[in-house]
Amino acid sequence: MKRTPLLTLTGLLVAVLALAGCGSTRAPGGGGGSGAGDTFTYAFHLNVVTEWDPAVSYSNESIAMANIYESLTRYDATTKKVLPVLATKWDKSADGKTWTFTLRDGVTFHSGRKLDSTAVKEAIERTKKLAAGAAYIWDPVASIATPSPTSVVFTLKYPVALDLVASSGYGAYIYDTTAAGSGDLAAWFKTPHDAGTGPYTVASWQAGAETELKLSAYDDYWGGWEKDQYKNVAFRVTPEITTAWQLLQRGDVSFVDRLTPQLFAQAAKTDGLATSESTSFQNLVALYNTASGPLADVRVRRAVQLLTDTDAVVSALHGAVAPADSLIPAGLLGEGPVGVKPDAAEAKKLLAEAGYGSGHPLRLRLTYAQGDKDQSIYVTLLGSALKQAGVKLDARPMQWDAQWSQAKSPNAKQRQDVFVMYWYPDYADPYSWFVNLFKSAKEPYFNLSYLDDPAVDATIDKLPMLTATSPDQAAADYRSVQQRIIVEDAAVTPLYVLNDQRAYRSDFTGYADNPAYPNVVFVHDLHVK
Amino acid sequence: MSAVLPVARLRSLARRDVLATIAAVALAVIVLAALLAPWLSPYPADGTSATHPADSLLGPTGSHWMGTDAVGRDVLTRILYGARTSLLIVAAVLAISAFAGVLLGCIAGYAGGWVGDVIMRVTDVFLAFPALLLSLALAVILRPGVGTAIIAIAATWWPWYARLSCAAAQAVRGRAYVDSARCLGLPRWRIVLEHVLPNSLTPVIVQLSLDAGGVILTAAALSYLGLGAVEPTSEWGLMVQQGQESFTTEWWVVTFPGLAILVTAFCFNMLGEGLRQALDPRRVIR
Repeated sequence: MKRTPLLTLTGLLVAVLALAGCGSTRAPGGGGGSGAGDTFTYAFHLNVVTEWDPAVSYSNESIAMANIYESLTRYDATTKKVLPVLATKWDKSADGKTWTFTLRDGVTFHSGRKLDSTAVKEAIERTKKLAAGAAYIWDPVASIATPSPTSVVFTLKYPVALDLVASSGYGAYIYDTTAAGSGDLAAWFKTPHDAGTGPYTVASWQAGAETELKLSAYDDYWGGWEKDQYKNVAFRVTPEITTAWQLLQRGDVSFVDRLTPQLFAQAAKTDGLATSESTSFQNLVALYNTASGPLADVRVRRAVQLLTDTDAVVSALHGAVAPADSLIPAGLLGEGPVGVKPDAAEAKKLLAEAGYGSGHPLRLRLTYAQGDKDQSIYVTLLGSALKQAGVKLDARPMQWDAQWSQAKSPNAKQRQDVFVMYWYPDYADPYSWFVNLFKSAKEPYFNLSYLDDPAVDATIDKLPMLTATSPDQAAADYRSVQQRIIVEDAAVTPLYVLNDQRAYRSDFTGYADNPAYPNVVFVHDLHVK
Repeated sequence: MSAVLPVARLRSLARRDVLATIAAVALAVIVLAALLAPWLSPYPADGTSATHPADSLLGPTGSHWMGTDAVGRDVLTRILYGARTSLLIVAAVLAISAFAGVLLGCIAGYAGGWVGDVIMRVTDVFLAFPALLLSLALAVILRPGVGTAIIAIAATWWPWYARLSCAAAQAVRGRAYVDSARCLGLPRWRIVLEHVLPNSLTPVIVQLSLDAGGVILTAAALSYLGLGAVEPTSEWGLMVQQGQESFTTEWWVVTFPGLAILVTAFCFNMLGEGLRQALDPRRVIR
């Protein structure tokens, strides 16, 4: 154990410097990701693929899937219009219950099969049958007919905006259900294989690798190829923002999905880089346990709402987020302020009424995403406000799987009091928030406030049809159901809406952020300068 | 017979080993600052739970000498309060480790035979795992917090003291004064506590001072990884972790707590090295 002072000093210096820089330095290059040449390299802050089956996929892999698979339509959040993709045009009947889509000619799947109405029908029916991920979007569909190879007719149980549904970022992909031949398609997808019509196909995938996924151009893509388009796409997992920033500056990656507000401002002034900023459809919500624990008392939930200063959170995040004045982000049907203003005095009064005070202190358990600095700032501010009101906050940063499993525990005592998570819609419509987060369910899935309010359920059930038949009434109902959920039930506090702050190399054009497809870069749309 | 620190040797070495002396003085200042944190801190409330989001990420100024963090808390205040947390962890870890390690080591060394074999094989099992890895594993199982950090680190630290004490106890168990005590009919536990233990302490004291720096670094590493101290506790490793994303733009959030870790760990090591030399009987002091 004999040590010399010099060795000790050197060891200490190395240890402290390693601590300060832990995770922020990685060897450049490695793994084949390069921002140069014909490869577009996307530095993403999380692992990319959790599910390869396009019918089941409901997670981060959308950033790759959107370049491999296509749906009938795509939503343009800027113009608020539905654009053609695999369908070139569509019509609906007067009652809104019959929709006819005309398919694009000359489209083939990566398997070589020609796209036709049968393929579309088979893909959507398989997605419906598996009933996983965002398959619920097809719930209004009663039957699908194929009167001709280029025409698909959907008969609905009730009117919905099916062109919007068909543009969903999840559950709406059209894929070749025969790609595995006589084999098991679900197992075939896992190997991994793809069966899309998109511009890129899977070249290689290695879970846990730095460059997790590589895509290569599908030569027979119906949109064709020009010389200035990227022929390869690489997804490089880069959890540390400072690392992503260094890679971008060096040209080792082409695109970074998020930076700190300060680095984003620096990127805007850096030669060779470009930035894009827009409000997303993704918001952070704090869901309060309405079924068990201290928050089962609505007065306590309301007190927590009144102690939550969302403006302070927005201020501390320096432009990375925008205020959330309701559950519905700006740009979607039913947007408009529905909220609760902070009022510490009223909160203390409610807590006293509920029997909490110095003799009977309140202790709350909150779970949030480990490693998410924005969420940790909210948690710190909430903890401070609660402490001043005599409430102890036991905040636990957790990996998503663990956080979600605990929230769904059959033992209600093991569940948290406050569950913090992001939500964004599957297609450009607010219905997703309500049907997933607040519609009662015997076994909770995403309804992690455990709300069971028949009045809320009844309103939610009417919303899809109203959106198609009477958008004004739907907007009014969205506001009234939020009044019920946020103000009367005090089941949730919408905390903030993320601002998409993207930074990328300025050696290509054609990038446009589309909040309807969070974090997705449609690489085929890009052109190298 | 009891262990007496050779004061004269220490005084003499203090004159010769300037680095250890400076380290001791610096540590005394750090301990004093930690004790007086509520009175020395410019914004004492920031050390516990206050936040000021409107003042977030302000650079060093006259009103905030070391700037503010992401929620507007004064970094100097958090560092002063962080010293309390770090020193508490050091004291608790070393006390638990030394108590358990020395006791088991002395029993193993004095008793020998199968008792000694069992204790030392268990010790070897713990030593087989890298300390940080074992601490991480334990911290993952337990809930994050200062208590968890203390338990996780202490669980990996005690075997070193057991080894050290066992060797020291083996060296003294054949000495005449131990034989005399045995002949006088003293019970074994009294022989261990009154004769073996005190005469095995010198290397342990040196090791304690050398290990203090390591404990600070390990505690900081656990907090950095989200497995140690949690908000709103002021802790240096946690502060480094929270500021790392803005290191290139708001350097003060990371740099000052990083320096606090560096200086404190360095001082402990210098002091330990000085003590090791002072208490080394082979070293001749003129």
